[in-house]
Amino acid sequence: MTNFLRKYRPFVSAGIEEAIVYRANFLLFALGNTLGAFVTYFLWKAVFQSSTNSSLNGFTFPEMVLYIFLSFFTGILTSSDGSSSVGDEVKDGSIAMRILKPISFTANYFYEEIGSKLIDVGVLAVPLFGGILIYQIVGKGTPVLNLVNLLLYFFSATVAYLINFYFNICFSFTAFFFRNLWGSNVLKNALVIFMSGSLVPLAFFPPVLQNVLKVLPFSSLLYTPVMLYLGKYSAEQTISVLLLQIFWLIFFIFLAKIIWHFAIKHLSIQGG
Amino acid sequence: MSMIEVSNLTKDFRKTIKSPGLVGAFKSLIKPKYETFEAVKNLSFEVPKGEILGFIGANGAGKSTTIKMLTGILTPTSGYCRINDKIPQEDRQNYVKDIGVVFGQRTQLWWDLPLRETYSVLKEIYNVPDKDFYKRMDFLNEVLDLNDFITSPVRTLSLGQRMRADIAASLLHNPKVLFLDEPTIGLDVSVKDKIRHAIEQINQEEQTTIILTTHDLGDIELLCNRVFMIDHGQEVFDGTIKQLKNRFGHIREIEFELVNAEDANRLNFSQFGSAIEYSQNEKNVRVKFDSSKVSVPDVIRLTLSQVDVQDISVKDADIEDIVRRIFRKEAAEHD
Repeated sequence: MTNFLRKYRPFVSAGIEEAIVYRANFLLFALGNTLGAFVTYFLWKAVFQSSTNSSLNGFTFPEMVLYIFLSFFTGILTSSDGSSSVGDEVKDGSIAMRILKPISFTANYFYEEIGSKLIDVGVLAVPLFGGILIYQIVGKGTPVLNLVNLLLYFFSATVAYLINFYFNICFSFTAFFFRNLWGSNVLKNALVIFMSGSLVPLAFFPPVLQNVLKVLPFSSLLYTPVMLYLGKYSAEQTISVLLLQIFWLIFFIFLAKIIWHFAIKHLSIQGG
Repeated sequence: MSMIEVSNLTKDFRKTIKSPGLVGAFKSLIKPKYETFEAVKNLSFEVPKGEILGFIGANGAGKSTTIKMLTGILTPTSGYCRINDKIPQEDRQNYVKDIGVVFGQRTQLWWDLPLRETYSVLKEIYNVPDKDFYKRMDFLNEVLDLNDFITSPVRTLSLGQRMRADIAASLLHNPKVLFLDEPTIGLDVSVKDKIRHAIEQINQEEQTTIILTTHDLGDIELLCNRVFMIDHGQEVFDGTIKQLKNRFGHIREIEFELVNAEDANRLNFSQFGSAIEYSQNEKNVRVKFDSSKVSVPDVIRLTLSQVDVQDISVKDADIEDIVRRIFRKEAAEHD
């Protein structure tokens, strides 16, 4: 185990250093995303103002505000870039250099991403999560801050990140067959945004669709941790959504192993 | 015992055929047509431990495809290679521990990090003990002069620096087999010299088995005990560099730049018979001949006696040319 850590630790620091090199890029990305979150905020404000009910589908306006910013923060926390980087590397053939090292392909990506994620989340957590906490303490009619929910949230968000990582790795291996991932990536992202509840809470969908979406892995990526934070689940529901998350995590870890086994045989390194 | 054993190695690629133009692009989008392209056909050879094998062939001859299969990043369609007693495709992580690879067109260095960091990452990946690591780094510094740029981020290095750094990176773990795919491509003479010297030294000190692909006859002449040449994915020559030159290297080429283009009409090489041929492009006249039958001074003397010449350049046959000739000759034998 210590040997394992020694072997992969350099990737974490390499990831951190690379993230720092491109810090301006990252700050612009964060700024763009924040603007997006505010647009969503004003949209929902208009929706609530035009409605005669003070709560929609079980969400009060302050809860909705928390949902918007928390799902935005969770989105960053659990995002995984694996599929586009594997796609790019397959396209230009540089993936060869990774395969030629005596290390696990998946672990290599994972630790590099952890490194840059530490920086991303570190930079954003203070203003964003701080803002959310202040809003909860100062704002009127906001859900009460709850330590258990907070811990559940962080646990569930970590699992969500791992699911997302392996899901993206599975997806990215299709690049070995298609050679280029750009198109399918756009489709995948649109579907994930819709089905994970990051665009609209799943509670707003028709009941039949809701039940389907809740079982699919996508709700585990974002909806589950955010709803846990908001305290929307009973004790039993909490256990069942967490078990579902863990199920999907194990599922994708195995799927990734199986796909890798076949994909590596199909790999053709492009370019001289 | 051989370090590398290749047996009936074959690789087919399926290619989409595209008709030209926009209409063609649409056609292949709706109903793609495929054709099978044999990049490597039935290659078999063995390389004993400690040998430097020059692997040559024209562009697209299948060199890189072969190297990719030997390094394990491509799976052969049929046949196999066994290197250091392992099948590369079967046990990737274990196999790559003992090999070093440099692709001239790619880099294994971390693009955004100072060069030094790449080496410390590699040290951990390959589990190189501290003592060996420092000893190796000293040696590599000495032969490849890395110290000038070891603290610079890799993206700021020049091509020559990057190539030296890449070669050092492939040697850090003291591999048993080293694959060099065009390690001197695009480099100036002094960098080429350093790299050749380093390769030679590693081979002598560590008995490293090396497979080297190149278009540069100089690399081959200085480094390789043996040359393996392929064309269209097939073996066309396997032997020492001396044998290669004796068989194919005697065709020489001299280029004359004339004062007046019209003078070319006065040229007459008939006294040399069929051993010589020439072609003209404006003021430039290119003369090709068999140097075992006609001597270089004779050709120059005769030309100077017939026309006014501004400039003369004498060329060695290059590998592309030799390959072309070998292939043409073989094709002729089949007729």
